[in-house]
Amino acid sequence: MNQDHSNDIIELASNLRWKVGENYHDRLTEGIYTDAAAITRDVEVRDGKAHFTFDRKLDQILTSKTFGFPIMVLILSIILWITIQGANYPSGMLATLLLENIYPFLKGVASSIGMPWWLDGFLIDGVYLALGWVIAVMLPPMAIFFPMFTLLEDFGYLPRVAFNMDNMFRKTGAHGKQALTMSMGWGCNAAGVVATRIIDSPRERLIAIITNNFSLCNGRWPTQILIATIFIGALVPPAFSGLMSTVSVIGIAMLGIAFMFLTSWLLSKTMLKGEVSTFALELPPYRPPRFWQTIYTSLIDRTLIVLWRAMVFAAPAGAVIWLSSNITVGDMTIANWMIEWMDEFGVFIGLNGVILLAYIVAIPANEIVLPTILMLTVANLNLIGVGAGDGVMFELDSEMETEAILRQGGWTLLTGINLMLFSLLHNPCSTTIYTIYKETKSWKWTAVASILPVIMGFVVCFLVAQIYRIVVG
Amino acid sequence: MRNFTTISQIITSETDQAFWSLVIFLLVVLLAYFMMRLKVWRVIMTGQLRSHRAQIEDILKQLYHVEAGGKSVGIIDLSGALRISDKKMLNLIEEMVNMDLIQTRDEKIVLTEMGRDYALRIIRVHRLWEKYLSEKTGISKLEWHDRAEQKEHQLTREQTESLYEELGRPRFDPHGDPIPTAQGQVIEVKSVPLTGLRKGAVARIKHIEDEPEVVYKQIIAKKLHIGSQLKVIESDDRHVKFYSEGEEYTLPSIVACNISVLELSEEEIFEDSKVRLSSLDEGEKARILGISSECRGAARRRLMDLGFIKGTEIETEFNGPNKNPKAYKLRNTLIALRNDQADLILIEKEAI
Repeated sequence: MNQDHSNDIIELASNLRWKVGENYHDRLTEGIYTDAAAITRDVEVRDGKAHFTFDRKLDQILTSKTFGFPIMVLILSIILWITIQGANYPSGMLATLLLENIYPFLKGVASSIGMPWWLDGFLIDGVYLALGWVIAVMLPPMAIFFPMFTLLEDFGYLPRVAFNMDNMFRKTGAHGKQALTMSMGWGCNAAGVVATRIIDSPRERLIAIITNNFSLCNGRWPTQILIATIFIGALVPPAFSGLMSTVSVIGIAMLGIAFMFLTSWLLSKTMLKGEVSTFALELPPYRPPRFWQTIYTSLIDRTLIVLWRAMVFAAPAGAVIWLSSNITVGDMTIANWMIEWMDEFGVFIGLNGVILLAYIVAIPANEIVLPTILMLTVANLNLIGVGAGDGVMFELDSEMETEAILRQGGWTLLTGINLMLFSLLHNPCSTTIYTIYKETKSWKWTAVASILPVIMGFVVCFLVAQIYRIVVG
Repeated sequence: MRNFTTISQIITSETDQAFWSLVIFLLVVLLAYFMMRLKVWRVIMTGQLRSHRAQIEDILKQLYHVEAGGKSVGIIDLSGALRISDKKMLNLIEEMVNMDLIQTRDEKIVLTEMGRDYALRIIRVHRLWEKYLSEKTGISKLEWHDRAEQKEHQLTREQTESLYEELGRPRFDPHGDPIPTAQGQVIEVKSVPLTGLRKGAVARIKHIEDEPEVVYKQIIAKKLHIGSQLKVIESDDRHVKFYSEGEEYTLPSIVACNISVLELSEEEIFEDSKVRLSSLDEGEKARILGISSECRGAARRRLMDLGFIKGTEIETEFNGPNKNPKAYKLRNTLIALRNDQADLILIEKEAI
């Protein structure tokens, strides 16, 4: 009997579930929220003042159709300019200290205690030099860029940038906040990838992570500027060469933005079509930034963590670079074998074997790509009297000397242009790749983010090379 | 003897080599593009040829729908509808009769008790999968049906049940169709096509048919949602004109008959003032009436978390440079929403 009753009840419940309709969960939640809101309304006390007036006036200017965009471009340009210019001095000082004082000192100590040449080369010319280089070139720009950026964020301006830019990003299937992570990427891609945490929609966050590499990071600006000065600035009369090379570097950065939009659009239409997408952008009230706290957190959270990761990867890379140039197999060093092996493909797409090898061994940091290229070129051509020895990275004081070495290595205007393009479109540095894995917890997306830009780089270099050969002849 | 010219003899200069490399590259890109366009990849990847079992299941499903519509069907109609050759169909029908899934009665085919159960199980998987796609993924609603058509033949009974649990035991799919229970229970939806309403009638959209796709796309483009209330202004043989959520719509009858509605009784008052948040101008104030049922899953929860809940006061604070997104103020917080989201939030404007 009892059994019958319970069956009746279950059947009744089942029938009733058809009747309550499909949205009863929502209605329940709504009811709870509504009650909570009613209770708060009764007990909450507010001072009747309108603290919104100042904020609204500022918002009307910062998000207006006329001023919103110019103000944003102006602020970003100033930040980038201060970073690039301001980083020169501390970078120079660090380089003098680490590479010109401590390095010979260490070499001296090593020889006085009778360290064998291979251990001395491995540890000091390989590991120490790569570390010193990365710290000298990487630390100052980041220590300038991130605090400035964080101050703007704390003030409440950055969410307005996202708000202004969202329309453009929406059309490519991305989130307005990607404008911020992209700008952050100009400081450092690894930091840019960490910054995508502010995007709460899973699909848009993945897009932002994968496309962050198209932001020309601090480590690539110096390469771009040097190569532009040598190869592109030389195309016009000396009076305009400075302007010409600046314009071409900005052009490369703009091209990066174009590739970012293109890739975002492609990804949202293909691979990421099925991921969940939600949008919401909170616009917090403006407030005076907490200066010291901001400086402290941006230095600790962003600069030092990224620097630490870069150092962890740079040390073994330095060792690999030194070893590849000093271990001989048959009648050539490993480096020379690899250069020879890749040279045909490299030249075909308008680069060369040295550049390809440099991008493979200098994967930990874009900062050491150019010194590696110079070292490999000298070692490969067996030039006497230049450089610092096999496997020892170096940079030259004058652009003329750099140009002379590169021209001897067979570089043309095409190689210069394609190096600039490849420097924009290649795999992220290992620090960034590791960070992408940490953030996505997925080998698949890490692989996509690492391989996709290289393929794009090869295709773009290939196209430019063939068109250049047809046009120039 | 003839002299054969080799490729390396033709391509001598670097310019020629560059030219031919470009040509070959472009050809490869074009080939890849067309293969993508023709969905060759999808066929290769999914092995899209319908399996024997899938064909039997499709026949059962088709028969169920026909019988639910109070009609009956012969072999010729079936093979036409399912694009199976007549000869193949005869074999399949014979096999299914042997399996006791169907019976033939004077040229007509009818489902047996077992066949009906089987059909309901397939429909259950189909509708559950559509529910899953709508709640847990960002896949466009235009693709739900096709994907579910594939999936309904693949899920096992255990997988179906765990999906049902995971989705919170839903009773309706995103189109408003009832999902049969595991015991094969299902309710009749007492809805009528929109074309069947007289002038002045008030109704709620209950179901939007997703086949044929062309018509479905047209309805989706109009931003009509399940759960929306509407009031018929005019209805004749060719057009239906109605008013819904602050907008006026005119649909050709052929499109309108794919929208099923439930007529509302006198006491269920039509909220004439119910409009979409996107229509709220800068500086205007309103009260939120709710989020449309078209807004689902994570997107819906996010909006609710932010406080877009019935009864909340809301104000358009500023429009922004492109009027998309716009910034809204609610509970003293500024939140920017895109227009396609604001379309799904229903409000009642306050008199100024």
